[in-house]
Amino acid sequence: MIEIKGVTKRFLNETEIEYKDITFETGKSYMLLGASGCGKSTLLNIIAGIISPTSGSVIIDGVNMQEKSQKQRDKFRIEKIGYIFQDFKLINEMTVLDNINILNLEGVNTQNAPELLNELGLSDKKNSRIKHLSGGQKQRVAIARALVKKPDIVLADEPTGNLNFAIGELVINELVKVAKGKTLIAVTHDERLAKYFDVVIDMNEMTDGKRDTFSGGEA
Amino acid sequence: MLKFALKNMAIKKMQIILVVLSIVISAGIGVLAFNVSSQVSDGITSNAGYYSLIIGPSGSKTQLAMNTMYFTDEPLGTIPYSVVSALSQDGMRVNTAIPFAMADNYNGYSVVGTSPDFLNDKEMKEGSLFDSSSTCEAVVGYNVAKYNGLKIGDVLHTSHSSTGLDTHEEGIKVVGILKESHSSFDNVVFTQIQTLWHVHEHEGEEMHKTVCAILVNTKNPAYALQLLDEYDGKIVTHENETFTLQAIEPMDAVRDVLNDADDTKYIVFVLCAVILIMNIMIISIITLLNMYHSSKEISLMRLIGISMKKINLLYIIQNSIIGLVSILLAFGVSRLCLLMMNDYVSSMGVVLNLGLVYPLEVVILLSVFVISILPTAIWTFVMSKRDSISD
Repeated sequence: MIEIKGVTKRFLNETEIEYKDITFETGKSYMLLGASGCGKSTLLNIIAGIISPTSGSVIIDGVNMQEKSQKQRDKFRIEKIGYIFQDFKLINEMTVLDNINILNLEGVNTQNAPELLNELGLSDKKNSRIKHLSGGQKQRVAIARALVKKPDIVLADEPTGNLNFAIGELVINELVKVAKGKTLIAVTHDERLAKYFDVVIDMNEMTDGKRDTFSGGEA
Repeated sequence: MLKFALKNMAIKKMQIILVVLSIVISAGIGVLAFNVSSQVSDGITSNAGYYSLIIGPSGSKTQLAMNTMYFTDEPLGTIPYSVVSALSQDGMRVNTAIPFAMADNYNGYSVVGTSPDFLNDKEMKEGSLFDSSSTCEAVVGYNVAKYNGLKIGDVLHTSHSSTGLDTHEEGIKVVGILKESHSSFDNVVFTQIQTLWHVHEHEGEEMHKTVCAILVNTKNPAYALQLLDEYDGKIVTHENETFTLQAIEPMDAVRDVLNDADDTKYIVFVLCAVILIMNIMIISIITLLNMYHSSKEISLMRLIGISMKKINLLYIIQNSIIGLVSILLAFGVSRLCLLMMNDYVSSMGVVLNLGLVYPLEVVILLSVFVISILPTAIWTFVMSKRDSISD
């Protein structure tokens, strides 16, 4: 269970986002809907421990993440959180498998990668370089990398942002399927995908204060 | 980690080849320059103290010393063999008086006429020393045998000209081959002094009963000084011809050469220092450029959860591999150059030993290795301090 309590985030340009308290229950899939700049990606980054909130806390399974050091939050992210980035965050010159096996550096077991790639329809692409893949295939690789470590929480930031609707829908369908039983929080601004999630949260209603086009960064 | 480091390196082939090349060239030159200057200098000094005295015709004492000890340069001229006989009979003061004459060549290799005493301390690879009482027998240096395919029993024809044409009719039979000594002895054909007289007499040349120099070993240093006084400037006559002798102490004569060698060594030291500084600059610039381009890769790895510690380690492993491969290649290239230079320096009387590694060479290579890792370590340290994922 993920609890967001009194979280605010002030950026260097003085823009501040204030989040209403919310709880994400274990095993459910959530869709965070909202316009660009309303703080959707920032919330994911705060949950993942990539950035720290200016105030408030994120409590995951009873543990206040703000009381942990950055090192502990990194460890938690690598062990428990699968993060799918909008721009994939893949190394273009490397193969699909190498991009997943990079997690071996932190001791993550990636033995089930071929199985997962097979499930995502990429079994024949595992030795292809990322630069030779289409956008949809890249997003599937990003999903495979996020899920290979069998995380408790899956965070997806605009997983369909770089894809056309038909492919995006296919990817979301697969993501929800492979992330079944885990806490899935996906950020998107496409309302048509809402049917695939257990809960849809309108971020425009969840945040107060000045909104900006800023979608991530440093505190 | 190693596997991933290698894969990550494979995608940056061109950058890595450039770094390796720059290290190989600079470190290779440094190591080669130091090795060659040291071996040449050591080669010149090694034999200098072996003989108490060298007696020869008047002229340059350095030329006399270099010609008799290292077979370089042309002989100054000739002196009568009777001087050798006189010294040999001076059993009270003289241990050995070895005649030395250099007149011919065999395929470009110098032919030295002498007595078996000259080669007494040399190890034989095959065969035995020639017999002083007979003629037309030769003991050949290791390289002479190796590069001319000579075997015991072969007959070689020497020539008076360096072109190898116009060979003497009289052949010289190979009776012995010297073991490789990495000295100028490897490149010389030794024969009895009377062989040279014999070969030239046959052709009506005026060479009989003369030598180019006499190498003398005295029973103690005081006798050497006495003989030096006696023979330096002495005038002797032989068959109505007058010869002015000079007597030199080999060490004294070689000292001038050594001073030049010391200057060369100093220049090499400065050169090595300049090369190391250039190395630091080249490697630092290339590495920092690489790391700058890698900053995207680093932030990507950080975002997916790889710790800065692991990223540092990854880049340090990569650069260690680059450094290690580079210094091994630099060492290999320096040895290859040494091999190629051997033909040139052996004509100066020094044979370079490819297996000889000086401690400073190891220091240069290890410094280059450390330098190749240092910029990466500093950069990744700075990156970790500026880590975008932080409290």
